[in-house]
Amino acid sequence: MSETTPTTTYWKSLNELAENQEYKKYAEREFTENATELNDGVSRRGFLRVMGASIALAGFAACRRPVQKILPYSRQPEDIVPGIPLYYATSMPLMGSLVGLVAENHEGRPTKLEGNDMHPASRGGTNAFHQAAILNLYDPDRSRFPRKDGQRASLEDFSTFLSEELGRTTAKRILFISEANSSPTLAAQKAYLTNTYFDNAEWVTYEAFGEENAFRGTDLAFGSRLRPYYKYDQADVVVSLNDDMLSATHPNNVEYSNQITGKRKVTSTKDTMSRIYAVEDSFSVTGSYADNRLRLKASQIPAFTFALAQALSEQTSGLDAFSGVNNSFVGHEWISALAEDLLANRGRSAVSAGLEHAPEVHAAVAAMNVALGNAGNTVDYLEVPHAGDSVETTFEDALTRLNNDEFDVAVIVGGNPVYTSPELAQAIGKVETVVHLSDFYNETSKAATWHINRAHFLETWGDGYSFGGTRSVIQPQIQPLHGGISEIEFLSMFSGSMAKGYDLVRNTFAEYYNDLDAAWVNILHDGIDRIDSFAKPNVRVTSSLGSAVAGALNQTPGSGMEVVIRPDASVYDGRFANNGWLQELPDPMTKITWDNVALMSPATAAQLGVENEDVVSVTVNESSVTIAAWIQPGHVDDAITLSVGYGREGIGRVANRYMDYTSGGSDTYPLRAHNSLFSAGSVSKTGETYEIACVQDHHSLEGRDLYRQATIEKYKKTPEYASFAYIHKYEVPGLKEAAAKGEDEPISLFDEQVYPEYEPQWGMAIDLNSCFGCGVCIIACQSENNIPVIGKKEVKRGREMHWIRNDRYFVGEDADNPQAVHQPVPCMHCELAPCEQVCPVAATTHSNDGMNQMTYNRCIGTRYCANNCPYKVRRFNFFNYPKEYLTTGDDPDIIQMAMNPEVTVRFRGVMEKCTYCAQRVNRAKISAKIETGSPKPADGTVKTACQQACPADCISFGDLTDPNSEVSKIKRNERNYQMLEELNTRPRTSYVAKLTNPNPALA
Amino acid sequence: MTQIFPKWTNQVPRQLLIGLIVVANVVIFGVWYFFSPEYTDVGYAPEQPVPYSHKLHVSQLGLDCQYCHTSVWDSKQANIPATQTCMNCHNQIKTDSDKLAPIRNSWETGEPIEWVRVHNLADYAYFNHAAHVNVGVGCESCHGRIDKMEVVYQAEPLSMGWCLDCHREPEKFVRPIEEVTTMGYSVENQIELGKELVAKNNIHPPQYCQGCHY
Repeated sequence: MSETTPTTTYWKSLNELAENQEYKKYAEREFTENATELNDGVSRRGFLRVMGASIALAGFAACRRPVQKILPYSRQPEDIVPGIPLYYATSMPLMGSLVGLVAENHEGRPTKLEGNDMHPASRGGTNAFHQAAILNLYDPDRSRFPRKDGQRASLEDFSTFLSEELGRTTAKRILFISEANSSPTLAAQKAYLTNTYFDNAEWVTYEAFGEENAFRGTDLAFGSRLRPYYKYDQADVVVSLNDDMLSATHPNNVEYSNQITGKRKVTSTKDTMSRIYAVEDSFSVTGSYADNRLRLKASQIPAFTFALAQALSEQTSGLDAFSGVNNSFVGHEWISALAEDLLANRGRSAVSAGLEHAPEVHAAVAAMNVALGNAGNTVDYLEVPHAGDSVETTFEDALTRLNNDEFDVAVIVGGNPVYTSPELAQAIGKVETVVHLSDFYNETSKAATWHINRAHFLETWGDGYSFGGTRSVIQPQIQPLHGGISEIEFLSMFSGSMAKGYDLVRNTFAEYYNDLDAAWVNILHDGIDRIDSFAKPNVRVTSSLGSAVAGALNQTPGSGMEVVIRPDASVYDGRFANNGWLQELPDPMTKITWDNVALMSPATAAQLGVENEDVVSVTVNESSVTIAAWIQPGHVDDAITLSVGYGREGIGRVANRYMDYTSGGSDTYPLRAHNSLFSAGSVSKTGETYEIACVQDHHSLEGRDLYRQATIEKYKKTPEYASFAYIHKYEVPGLKEAAAKGEDEPISLFDEQVYPEYEPQWGMAIDLNSCFGCGVCIIACQSENNIPVIGKKEVKRGREMHWIRNDRYFVGEDADNPQAVHQPVPCMHCELAPCEQVCPVAATTHSNDGMNQMTYNRCIGTRYCANNCPYKVRRFNFFNYPKEYLTTGDDPDIIQMAMNPEVTVRFRGVMEKCTYCAQRVNRAKISAKIETGSPKPADGTVKTACQQACPADCISFGDLTDPNSEVSKIKRNERNYQMLEELNTRPRTSYVAKLTNPNPALA
Repeated sequence: MTQIFPKWTNQVPRQLLIGLIVVANVVIFGVWYFFSPEYTDVGYAPEQPVPYSHKLHVSQLGLDCQYCHTSVWDSKQANIPATQTCMNCHNQIKTDSDKLAPIRNSWETGEPIEWVRVHNLADYAYFNHAAHVNVGVGCESCHGRIDKMEVVYQAEPLSMGWCLDCHREPEKFVRPIEEVTTMGYSVENQIELGKELVAKNNIHPPQYCQGCHY
């Protein structure tokens, strides 16, 4: 890991590293080529296609005096005061776990989701999926009615069908295929339907990317299916064996990222920080956050794991099963370094493996954690009631039996297995009747006899457990917009008439309480019922572990090209494919929007003769997929990484792949066998190319000194390592002249503003030591500030509208194995802002509370300000993105509901940028003024959207006139630095330089 | 050959040009001055679904503003009351009045009454009632003598210049907080009292853009 010196190379793309023509094209222009020219009209169809629910309030026609109506309630509901948002706790189910959220409601419509501070799986943080869930609620492409054989039907029709064909005494053999669901209500229904109500019903839980392998691993190690639940806040050494626990595709990433980054908050030279090792094939966010990273092919991870277990078995007990391991990794420098560090930190280390790795890998990891004394300290093994070993059939078993015609009816409760599992898609064709509950009329619905439209989780009652076992209620915020039903209501229809979700959940909770009525209010208010619901049995490694893993120990990793398939950071397994916010969110590591790609290392690309955007054909077991190639520095050689969820047809206007082959990516599921992470395959160049909208070179600051970091050892020796003077060996220009005048800030040509004493002065600090690049800040900002989605073509032209971007830099000269770092960049709110000096109409000026303010109704769109902004944070509305959609869409009312009524929707030709969430600031100032008489809110009252969403507490915001405010304290730290300090713009946003803690033995 | 145009026609282009400039200036000035909200918006008095008389209810019956507009101290919006508020009295009084039929209808069906909005700020401008009444800006200062209005009309232009008149010199307008809902409030020593109140209530109205536009 390199340290910051003036010569350290930071680069965003291989083109930048090579300083070739391709890169100069981006760097020399204020906007990318074509961004400022109108080369083609944006067709209405084009807009319809990309907007989805991503869009905004109708601008009333510009004619004079539109007659507006005010509609007060007939009977005033208690608590609702027009103009004051209400907040209710709820939870979002995803990947079989709940995360506690708080929904902001404006006059009865939810507009924003935030983390629930009290909920252990959230602690106030969220990930991009949680933030974007609100847009799914208002998605106009959601299924709006039940269908029978593709024709519109009603719930009554379905009810009639159930009573006539699937009555209690039916002879039909039924298979329920459910997505992972932690609901105790659903678990009871499952038991009742399969054990009691039907004679011939079975249940299988299917997730394309589930925890099944981890459960099977602990079953091998301990003899029972337990969930490893890490407590990273106790871990000084973290070893991730291809486990991307910081990514939103991990079921507990919010809690884990909070804990992991919490162990790395350094406020003085006396503090210590944890050490993270990552062993992985593709560059993940966890890998970029790690102190030491090793590139290995996914197929080598098992051998590496067993070699590590072997190394530990020499000095611990309980790893006898692995003592005989003798593979190529035994004696590897990493194995000895890891073993030494782990043994030195017994009980304070944590080893984890990627969820898709084989059960034997998880078993080895579990045994290591027990041997190191970590079990009970840094990792708990939880008995998860819905892990489903007793009542359930395994997916493999179900597949075989479906193929043998052993079922007549398949009831698919949520999920989209026909799309995500090609094997199941085939098997399901043998079933007479398929019933499918789903949010979208998707691939599975089209293959189904009955499609029932499902309600969004913000529309119905539900319950469930978090990953760590916190039991919560899912509280609806709004009536179902399209009359959908939840999965528990759906299942209740099978055993008679449909019960209401509320009654079902209340019945479940009535069993936990003698007096539920008394407890209920608190359960709903806090969003938490009980924290430690899962039992933590004492674990002991079984004696049969040796024989169970023996077969896996001797497997030798394949040597040829291998294909790895992973869930996508934007669309997960494809369920968020119709979400414009997520589609346009740049991937944390590749910075690609709107598509999936085939990732490969520079060496592999050279070997294949492939460059970025070349289409390659990837073949696994005689299935082929064509997809655009993308070179990812830091990727392992001889492997291709693909993500899933793209290449959709007939889902919705955002998700769909278009026949002209310009957006939508490729469907990679045909290459994937269930529950397998990697498989041998072959790759060849097709000769075609496919445009990819990648934002990594957009808004480039051209290698200037923007990112600063050092190892913790260096920090202890030279605490001032991040200062301008230390790095450049000279002082910031203008300081000497200022000293002569008796001032401490460098002299300036501009007039300095005087800030009145009664006003707070806002400032922000971004801790680079906590940021791992997930991008939740971008989505949170988009949701809070009504930022439009503009579509792939527009992104390609560099017109993206995100107010905060997250720059990812590779560090070092080695393109094969660089370090990667992340830097969120919002508006800096410079005190001497260059943008303000050049605006001809004074549309951007400075406010008394120290913000660089943008006044939309003054802006005439000259774009001089963007030209003059050294940080490239200003965004221009090249088109009237909101209005185009609203005047042509089929259901503008629904889409408008997603907008924040506190923030203006901008028109075309207007510049915009981060406002420090001025609407939140002003609301807090007004409340503070009314309550205390001073417009200075107490510290912590104002949180910007990005700050609130961040699970790593990376961003702090507050009043700089208060020396005790959090942000003032952070800004006094010696690691605090300003971006481009030498320009003397005096930015109010500053950065806290990164620290790493690499193992010297692996330097 | 005689000249077709007499000599004085040489002056015509020049006179025309000067005339045009004068006319254009008059037109521009006229539009600028008379098309402002002060002339276009003031006096707007749309017909409401129920001919509710503020004059009757405030002047004769003595209702305070806050009896109906309850959220004015807390929210950015001073709410239009729910039908329920009307029915508090009108389930006893004038129960068979034709004019009140829409109220009873709304009460029975639960459908809201569609009142027509009178005071409408420009888009992009945010106004917060609570921020103003809590520091002593009277209802009357923006809404006029509601107690004398049979039909509510817009009394002030609600233009940005008009807002700034007070934001720049609040002492000319503020009153003690307990007098906020008083109609016809006036004191002789307004400036002197106003300055006292501005100091006492720590009033610093924002004059920067983001105070109202974001």
